[in-house]
Amino acid sequence: MEKPKLILENGRRLDGRLPNELRPLSIKAGVLKNADGSAYLEWGNNKVLAAVYGPKEVFPKHLADPEKAIVKCRYSMAPFSSLEEHGRAGPNRRAIEISKVTKEVFENVILLGQFPSTEIDIFIEILQSDGGTRSAGITAASVALANSGIPMRDMPYAVAAGKIGNELVLDVNKIEDNYSDADMPVAMSPNLGNVLLLQMDGNLTKDEFSRLIEMVKKAGEKITAIQRQAIFDFYNIKEKGKEANEEAK
Amino acid sequence: MQIKAVSREYLEELFNKGERVDGRGFMDYRGIGITPGVIPHAEGSADVTIGNTRVLVGVKMDIGEPMPDKPNEGTLTTSAELLPLANADYEEGPPSPEAIEFARVVDRGIRAAEVIDTEALFIEKDKVWNVYVDIYVLNYDGNLFDAGTLSSVTALLTSRVPKLEGGEIIREGSLPRLKTKGIVTSCTFAKIGNSIVLDPNGNEESFMNARLTVANDKEYIRAMQKGLSGSFTEKEIERLIDASFEKSNLLRSSIESAIKKYKSD
Amino acid sequence: MSEIVLPGNKISEEPMRLLGTYVMNNATYASVVGIYDKEHKQFIPLEGLWQPKENDRVIGKIASRHLGRYIVDLNSPYKGIIITKFEHARLETGDIIEATVREFKELDDAMVVMLTRPKKLYGGLLLEIKSSKVLRVIGRGNTMINQITEYTKSTIIVGLNGTIWIKGGDVSLASEAVKVIEQEAHVSGLTEKIKHMLEEKSRANKSQKEGA
Repeated sequence: MEKPKLILENGRRLDGRLPNELRPLSIKAGVLKNADGSAYLEWGNNKVLAAVYGPKEVFPKHLADPEKAIVKCRYSMAPFSSLEEHGRAGPNRRAIEISKVTKEVFENVILLGQFPSTEIDIFIEILQSDGGTRSAGITAASVALANSGIPMRDMPYAVAAGKIGNELVLDVNKIEDNYSDADMPVAMSPNLGNVLLLQMDGNLTKDEFSRLIEMVKKAGEKITAIQRQAIFDFYNIKEKGKEANEEAK
Repeated sequence: MQIKAVSREYLEELFNKGERVDGRGFMDYRGIGITPGVIPHAEGSADVTIGNTRVLVGVKMDIGEPMPDKPNEGTLTTSAELLPLANADYEEGPPSPEAIEFARVVDRGIRAAEVIDTEALFIEKDKVWNVYVDIYVLNYDGNLFDAGTLSSVTALLTSRVPKLEGGEIIREGSLPRLKTKGIVTSCTFAKIGNSIVLDPNGNEESFMNARLTVANDKEYIRAMQKGLSGSFTEKEIERLIDASFEKSNLLRSSIESAIKKYKSD
Repeated sequence: MSEIVLPGNKISEEPMRLLGTYVMNNATYASVVGIYDKEHKQFIPLEGLWQPKENDRVIGKIASRHLGRYIVDLNSPYKGIIITKFEHARLETGDIIEATVREFKELDDAMVVMLTRPKKLYGGLLLEIKSSKVLRVIGRGNTMINQITEYTKSTIIVGLNGTIWIKGGDVSLASEAVKVIEQEAHVSGLTEKIKHMLEEKSRANKSQKEGA
């Protein structure tokens, strides 16, 4: 199949976005009753559910670390998540790798030393996918962790950066990802300014890399604001309810 | 806040007064919410809540071979996952016997009631539509069976069949509805000591000795499953079958009004 | 109204020792979601986990018995341990107990909560709430918990680990009050609101019974 033109004459992408524009993003915290913390996120056509259990006892016991908590992460895509065929059940190699690099993001920010000999489980379920799911998962899991009360140094966010032709772009969707010249998911620690996840394949110059990171940080302000809003809404909804009741009296 | 545990003593004290911990009658359902079409990428989908139990179903269709004994019919495969995020006790890994029993019971009701018109899924010799129903449990608080059946049936009733054009599968745009013939619902009962209650929540299930699920449509019982190691008397089962037929009116109309609302939105 | 602060937000340019915060480069940052009161230099965590302290009263369930110890489920990452020979209580697996924390320490490569003076609780209902909300359920000077028991006539024991035991009286009204407190712990005027709720509902229940 011929490669479609991903950047049109007017400089916009197939879905009308500018190169550094993000798809619509919304997050809701505390959506699951049993989990210790949870968040539901929609980013473009991505629909992601993140949940946290813990700190809890380690199983099997021999994995416990007497100095700190251990983190386990499961990233998984529902068999009905893609616009293509039915997916296979069970984690494939791609999902296992994503689980690992995602775990490493949160091992960096969670204050693990406060809970020796325990484990913290992070679950990311992709219910519907359209490119950039690992970034969506990390952004959602951050909110789920804040919702759970597990102490962290910072709340990471992530975004899928890339290059289409000569254009540097942010928040690559599925079709762009299929035909991109470089694909680079990045997770950042916003308050501390560190890179917590970086993967890339394709071709990129060093200068392009630096420019992309700047674009990511700029967009990060918007993503962080939406994460905050999710937490605020979790508490404010009750505040607003109280005010409405006062007025009704 | 969660009701972590109810002492058996308190539970039985209430049962003797004809009450349940959450104030329901013995044969009352918790609040039921049904939302079709939540996963547009899937051919069909539905999100169902019964109280705090939450289940999501996605339906996908691919082209494949028919079963050797039914060469002119499409196929149906039903799977269920008790996601580890749904409950502290659910572990990652291949489906447990509980998950497998759950999927197979929901499947039997749908198959026996002929919800899907499988003959309409025939394309040509050795080529049919394979329908995959995947049940994802998102939050456990008892009675997965009824939530699984409600969501699977709703998803199927609102599913669309992809188009086949020049050897390519088109999944977007205006697509024909999946042809359905029947509708089925199920009622699940828990036996706790000598009391039997409909739609047990998580706490009640922790005291349950035996469980009975009855799937039916307007005319027939379509599937049944007795679970756990306790027992029922014949009279009890007959009484529960009657209750199932009675309650199924409420369940069917819940599905119908959810679909009506979905179509008009 | 004080603003809600998120993990990683800086709350002060000087190092402070506050629960729910951490210090880096001499500045203080939030580590959990909370409210920072600039005036009183207080940080109120809205989320947070129980850190066992000596003399904390807790409620748990006996999970098992091994070699002279009872293992207790405390709805916490840490298990409770009761040494049978030191404690004179006849306990069985599945029993709900109230106990006091003697020590939080390392035992066999795990952190455990050593418990003392266990007392079996018979019957009743066990609720689990986020441990960060427990103090709100108790209230300053026990004001909140006292008003709940006054209206419901229930026996209520609040464990600092976030587990609450309720028996007798209007169990369902008491549970509901706890649920509302957990959800609105950060809202001002909560004590009054709960009082109104308890008044109205116990009056309604009373007239329902009389009318019957």
